[in-house]
Amino acid sequence: MNTNPENFETLRKALAIKRHEVPPPGYFNNLSSNIAARIERGECELTFWERLHSSFTLRPAFAYAFAIAAFGTFTASVLHSGKPTAAQALHQEGLATALGPAAAPADFAADNDNPFSAPLHVPNWLGNTNPGAPPQVLPSLFAPQSHAVTVSYEYGN
Amino acid sequence: MHTKDQLEKPTAPPPLPELPEAAEGEETSDLILVRRSQDQDMGAYDQLVRRYQERIYATVYHMTSNHEDANDLVQETFVKAYRALKSFKGDSSFYTWIYRIAVNKTINFLKQRKNRIHLSLDDVDFNAENDPDLVALVSEKTPRRDLNLSELQEKLNSAMLKLSEHHRMVVTLHDIQGLSHEEIGAIMDCNVGTVRSRLFYARQQLQAHLADYLK
Repeated sequence: MNTNPENFETLRKALAIKRHEVPPPGYFNNLSSNIAARIERGECELTFWERLHSSFTLRPAFAYAFAIAAFGTFTASVLHSGKPTAAQALHQEGLATALGPAAAPADFAADNDNPFSAPLHVPNWLGNTNPGAPPQVLPSLFAPQSHAVTVSYEYGN
Repeated sequence: MHTKDQLEKPTAPPPLPELPEAAEGEETSDLILVRRSQDQDMGAYDQLVRRYQERIYATVYHMTSNHEDANDLVQETFVKAYRALKSFKGDSSFYTWIYRIAVNKTINFLKQRKNRIHLSLDDVDFNAENDPDLVALVSEKTPRRDLNLSELQEKLNSAMLKLSEHHRMVVTLHDIQGLSHEEIGAIMDCNVGTVRSRLFYARQQLQAHLADYLK
């Protein structure tokens, strides 16, 4: 075989054999009826996701547009989630103005309808990791009614 | 990097009698059959299947080198095409569209089946013995002149399977089926330069894989 990379004549001749490969006799006579049978059996029903995938496969531009739209939606939702809505902002601003800056948090915490006003349950054993918080008084290991009994020893007994 | 001449020189397509380039009349007729198929006319779709089944089968078979796999993939291609027929707007020819479905389906199948290769080759028809290219090839006084057609077929298919899916597809569509670079570009959704480049490297690799048998 000529190994010159620019001369593929021998390779072209060898590839000719591929054009002579034929399926078993009569294969093509039955193929279309097999396909029709599969279609009639209901193998032609597409789910939403299959239709979407089919669109992506056949039209790459649609896939790109879908990806851009999904990314845009995600980005917008991330940006939007960090900001309070206009109604929330007005409500909080109104409360702060009416009650004063110091009263606002207390009033907000006393609102029983607000699910966020209830203090979080923190188990005692968890401790507090906030260095600025006042020291936490932990329960004594000894019962409060216990009292100490004085004893005396004399040397030599 | 290869110059444009280097890439173009070896890519002259062989003149094949079964060039699948759709004639104008055939394309018009395709559109009519497609419209009728879109209206649930199974007879019209059956005609479309019969018109393209041999070309689609050949493409898939040359990619898989396995008759059973090719049979499954061809059937799935036509079933899927029927499902998606409503979305066919006629922007491209039906022939390009159905080829695209077959190509994508086959490449996806081969990627999933990676490293699980099993040859199940079709028979070579009796005309092969009279093919001037093959006669010249087998009768050449080479170190492996005892190589017969069935051996050559097996070696060639094994060498084809060593190519990447995209390189194998370009060789199949161009060197075996005789499609033009432009048609292959439309089917594989890439530009003509990419097609030429893939074809060049695929041929180089095939030549290297077959060097021991066809010196």
